[in-house]
Amino acid sequence: MSHHVTFNDLPQGGEKFEPAKGGKLIGSLGLVGLLGLIASGYFFFAKTDTFAYSWLFAVFFTFTFVVGGCFWILLHSASNSSWGVAVRRIWENLANMILALGILATPLLIPAVQKPLYEWMNHHRAAAEHAHHDHSTVKEALHHMTVGDEAKKIEANPHLHILVEKFGYLNISNHFLPPFSWQVRFVLYFLILWHIARTLRGKSLKQEQDGDIKHTIAARAFSCRWLLFYALTVTFASVDWLMSLDYNWFSTMWGVYIFAGCAWASMALSILVLTWLRGLGYLNKVVTDEHYHLMGKLLFAFTVFWGYIAFSQYFLIWYANITEETRFYLTRNTEAWRGVSIFIVVGHFVGPFLLLLSQPRKKNPVVVSLVCIWILFMHLVDIYWNVIPERGPSLGLGYWVPGAWVQDLAALCAVFGTMGFLYLRGLAKYSLYPWRDPRLIESVNVVN
Amino acid sequence: MSTTLKRVHGYLAEFDSVQELYHAAEHVRDAGYQRWDVHSPFPIHGMDKAMGVSRSKLPYLVFCGGITGTTVAFILQTITQTNFWSSIGLGFLEKIVETYPTVVQGKPTDIWTLPAFFPVMFELTILFSAFTTLFGLLALIGLPRWNHPLFASKRFPKFSDDGFFVCIEARDPKFSQEGTKSLLEKAGGKNIELVEDEV
Repeated sequence: MSHHVTFNDLPQGGEKFEPAKGGKLIGSLGLVGLLGLIASGYFFFAKTDTFAYSWLFAVFFTFTFVVGGCFWILLHSASNSSWGVAVRRIWENLANMILALGILATPLLIPAVQKPLYEWMNHHRAAAEHAHHDHSTVKEALHHMTVGDEAKKIEANPHLHILVEKFGYLNISNHFLPPFSWQVRFVLYFLILWHIARTLRGKSLKQEQDGDIKHTIAARAFSCRWLLFYALTVTFASVDWLMSLDYNWFSTMWGVYIFAGCAWASMALSILVLTWLRGLGYLNKVVTDEHYHLMGKLLFAFTVFWGYIAFSQYFLIWYANITEETRFYLTRNTEAWRGVSIFIVVGHFVGPFLLLLSQPRKKNPVVVSLVCIWILFMHLVDIYWNVIPERGPSLGLGYWVPGAWVQDLAALCAVFGTMGFLYLRGLAKYSLYPWRDPRLIESVNVVN
Repeated sequence: MSTTLKRVHGYLAEFDSVQELYHAAEHVRDAGYQRWDVHSPFPIHGMDKAMGVSRSKLPYLVFCGGITGTTVAFILQTITQTNFWSSIGLGFLEKIVETYPTVVQGKPTDIWTLPAFFPVMFELTILFSAFTTLFGLLALIGLPRWNHPLFASKRFPKFSDDGFFVCIEARDPKFSQEGTKSLLEKAGGKNIELVEDEV
């Protein structure tokens, strides 16, 4: 048994991160973010329609990490765990990026951006116009548009029937304000996540003042309550932003599918950040191979969970073959997207599954970190595969828009680069681990 | 009065606490013994390290079992329901059984209908892994068996209540009547007894 670490072995005040030490990575992320923002600014005005998809893709990709970070602190507190105290601050800081991300997400509230993305909003806006003239409700106007009206030269569009049926949930604030319209929910998601992230880090920081266990207990009670709202937030956010790209399509597994990816990718990211910090000489006293093993196990668990959910969703939809459901997979199972689909099965599930199966590999920081880089790439492919195939058909540009990948790259650099820059710089604000948490010693000496 | 032939099984030493047992295990390990074991009423964290036990071979067996399950399910289903084997020039395999594709929802009958077979592949992987785990474990630890020589000791039944024991077996190459006893004494063992097995 190695030496049992006590509080006396650890520095007073924890470890403070100096951004200058990690200047290379932080600087390049900042540069990439800046260049991405400039390019995005150009594309935003020059190619609004195709770029809207790029921006949604980039924002949602980054959003999944923040959401995942939020999940790990919630789970860690709610399950009364002690093993992760030494690495908890990494998740806390990750979750607290939600506000900065909210600012980058605001373009999605602009009608000109929504127009190419969400077809249903266009129908709703048209219906609102009709309703304004006829002094009827928007829902009635939508119904009129479904059946058509020759006197007013409105062509019948039977597809809109489903929008009438979904009106209770899927609606926007236009000439009126329904209590839970798309926009209101959009703001609410960020507020809920911000509240969770801020409260849990707040309790953790207060504990650094007095070292009292009562903050841990309060965090546990808070987490148990807010896990419910967290789950609802992730589910409905993915429904609102991605599923409604095709208003005909629906999948009851969608929220879980996205959540599985969130937890998976954010765990990979936090392992990478951990390895990076340890390479710079931080956290070496509190984090051991055992933590890598534990985090690797969770990574493995979510590899399997994602595979299970992704397959179930595919299996039920593809073999049930109901027209409005199958369209999602029909788009992704034909033409070039078919190759991407198969690549995701192998790269997102089979590869990580086999790589993470053995214990010595999970305990080896170098091996795990290499796997994590691959995982981040596969998560990127997964989100890309979910968002981008809608672009061509929705805009009437074929299944693949040539050259639009440059815009996707620009948006990705802008959002991920900027957020990465802010996140890593933000690490310097507090100690890298909660140094007065009474269970820190338990975490440092963890054996599994 | 008849004489019974007896065989020395090994030395059994008792310890008072987990800590003592743990350190005794480290002593025995460092002395280079191979055939010995500790007995306690509950699992002790880190004991495998203190004993210097190498990692079990069971995971490799289970991996092979799992792969076998996946393969069996794959072959069974593709042979009976698709034209995959004849398409790669192994059509004679499909002659063994009648190929009878179940066409549902217009899905293909070639290899690309594979996802439809995933549930069975998954189930058989789990089933074969579970069987290999159970039977592989029993084989590796030598169970079931009728009796164990240690049951001859009067003190040994305490191992399932509050006793902590170390037993060094006589078949260990380093075993010696004096040396092993003094090692156990030095490690803090109490009630050291020579356990004998009736032949």
